This record gives sequence, C-alpha cells and structure tokens, in this order.
Amino acid sequence: MNNKKNWQLPITIVFILLGILLSAQLQTQNRVLSDLSMQKTEDLIVMVKNLSEKRVELENELTSVEIKLNQLRTSNADEENIIKNLQTELKEFAIINGTEKVTGPGLKITIDKDSPVLYIDFVNIINELWAAGAEAICLNDVRINIYTSIYYSETESSMYITVNNKPLTFPIIIKAIGNPNTLEKGLTLPGGIMDNLALFGAYPVLEKSEKLVIPAVKETPVLTEAKPVIE
Amino acid sequence: MWFLPLFGLIIGALIGSIITFEIPVTYAKYMSIAVLASLDSAFGGVKAVLEDTFDGTILLTGFFTNTLIAALLAFLGDKLGVDLYLAAVFAFGVRLFQNLAFIRHCLLSKTLKKYNHKPGDSK
Repeated sequence: MNNKKNWQLPITIVFILLGILLSAQLQTQNRVLSDLSMQKTEDLIVMVKNLSEKRVELENELTSVEIKLNQLRTSNADEENIIKNLQTELKEFAIINGTEKVTGPGLKITIDKDSPVLYIDFVNIINELWAAGAEAICLNDVRINIYTSIYYSETESSMYITVNNKPLTFPIIIKAIGNPNTLEKGLTLPGGIMDNLALFGAYPVLEKSEKLVIPAVKETPVLTEAKPVIE
Repeated sequence: MWFLPLFGLIIGALIGSIITFEIPVTYAKYMSIAVLASLDSAFGGVKAVLEDTFDGTILLTGFFTNTLIAALLAFLGDKLGVDLYLAAVFAFGVRLFQNLAFIRHCLLSKTLKKYNHKPGDSK
C-alpha cells in the first residue's frame, strides 16, 4: 500500500506534461492544416476562385483610380493653361491701363507753337484716335489712360492746356500705337478733325512710324474704396 | 484521489494553450510522435497503478526517454530514408491500445467485484 501513496505525484507530473504536449501539438497541427499544401482540393479551388475574384475587383479599382489620376493630371494641366491665360490677360490689362511701357507701329502728330488749339481739340483728337483703333496713346510723353484729365488753366497773361493738371508745352507731340494707316484715315476724314482744325488755321503734322515707344503711366491710383460687386 | 491526474491534465493543457509554442511546421511530425509516446507512457503509468506494480522513477524516466527517443528516431529515420516514424506509430499505438484495454478490464472487474460483494459481505 505504500506504493499507492506514491503514485499520485509522478502520474500527475506526467499528465501535466502530457497536457502541455497535447495542446502544443494541437496548435502545431492547426498551423500545419492551415498550410496551403494540406488543404483539400475543393477548398483550394474555392480559395483560388475567391482570390481571383478579389484580384479582378482590385484591378478594376486600380483602373478607376488610374483614370482619376489622369483626370487630376489633366486638370492640373488645365490649371497651368488658366494661369498662362491669366498672365497674358494681365499683360493686356497692363497695356490697357497704361502701367506698362509699350512699343509698336503707329502715328505721331506734332502740333507746333503757333497753332490755335484748345484743350477740347486734344480731347477730340484722342477720342478720334481711340475710335480709329489706337491701342496706346501718349500726349507729350504722358500716357493717356482712364484717369487722364485734359483741361486748361489760366493765368493773368496766358492760358495753357493741362494734362493731369500739368501744363503742356509746345511743340505738342501725340503718339498713338495702332495701325498707322487706319489712324491717319481716322483723323483725315473729310469733315473730320483735321479739316476742323484747318478751319482755325491749325495744321498738325501727321507722321506714320514703324516703331513708336510710349511710356508707362507715372503714377497709378491706389484703390481704397471701390470693391467689385459679386453677383 | 484518482482525479488528481485528470486535474493535472487540464492544468497542463491550460499551460500549453497559454504558452504558445512556436514549433516549426517541419518538426510537427516528430512532435506528433513524441505526443504519442507520452500518451503511451501516461496510460502505461495508469495501468501500472491498477496492477499495483507502479514505480514513479520508472514512469518518469520512461516518459521522458520514450518521448525523446521516439522523436529522435523518427527524425533519424527521415534522415536515413527509413520510415521509423511508422514503426514508432505502430509500436506505441499497439501498446496504447493494450494499456487501454487492460485499464478497461481492470476497472470493469473491480466495479463488478464491488457490485457482487454487497456491503456487509466481509472480504
């Protein structure tokens, strides 16, 4: 009976070890079974099917994403185009506003000291030039833009024409960039400005030129109040 | 106190499941043969208890050596190109069933004896 007392401990130890071994083996076997080479053929077929379906799905997704990418790229190119357009537009506006020095073919009008002219004649000449397609005009190297004012000023002894509140000095030279022939025709229309001035004995000299240089506006106004209306 | 080994088995299984052994899949085969050997040893121990020929040292040394040698032999067999693995499976499997059969017989005859000798019958 002494043996009976002793058997419990070794057997328990053995069974503990057996339990450890068994569970370890179960885990290992699970891993072995999940290995692809141990799978059933049917399962493998299903797996292949599922995977190929997924692959097709992913390929579709890839193509759609690539299309999107291309769209984004082209829109980026569009953006560059827009920027270029905006820049050219900006240059045009700079010419229109007179903030940029310009050169080109045009007409040069010289009025000498003896001509009996009034400020209104200059306004008329300039209006006529604009109407004839002038793109940039300057009056004695003062660029004409939307803010230019032409008027006259009087002192006790004399009266003189002013541009931007500065007196004009003779000889007055008007330079206009545009098609020289059109500009000339605009002025020399029968019954036009030249005829009108001739009535008063003023004979401006018209001179076509291939290359005129018109300076930029000396000071541009700073806008503080005007805001664009957003509709 | 027969439940102590069972208890030990459950504790061992729990320990084994908590401590996750990362046995490489290539060694799973040897591991399985080692498990078979240890199973055989454990049932051999139970049989010895029932036979009253139990010896703790024999059981423990038998357990370890059987387990290790079974795995080693299977490994060696693979290296030599002999399926010693099958021999081990056969040997341990046969012995396992013999042990189980003996245990069954023994328990059965004991309970039958108890049933036949009613309480009150002095033995």
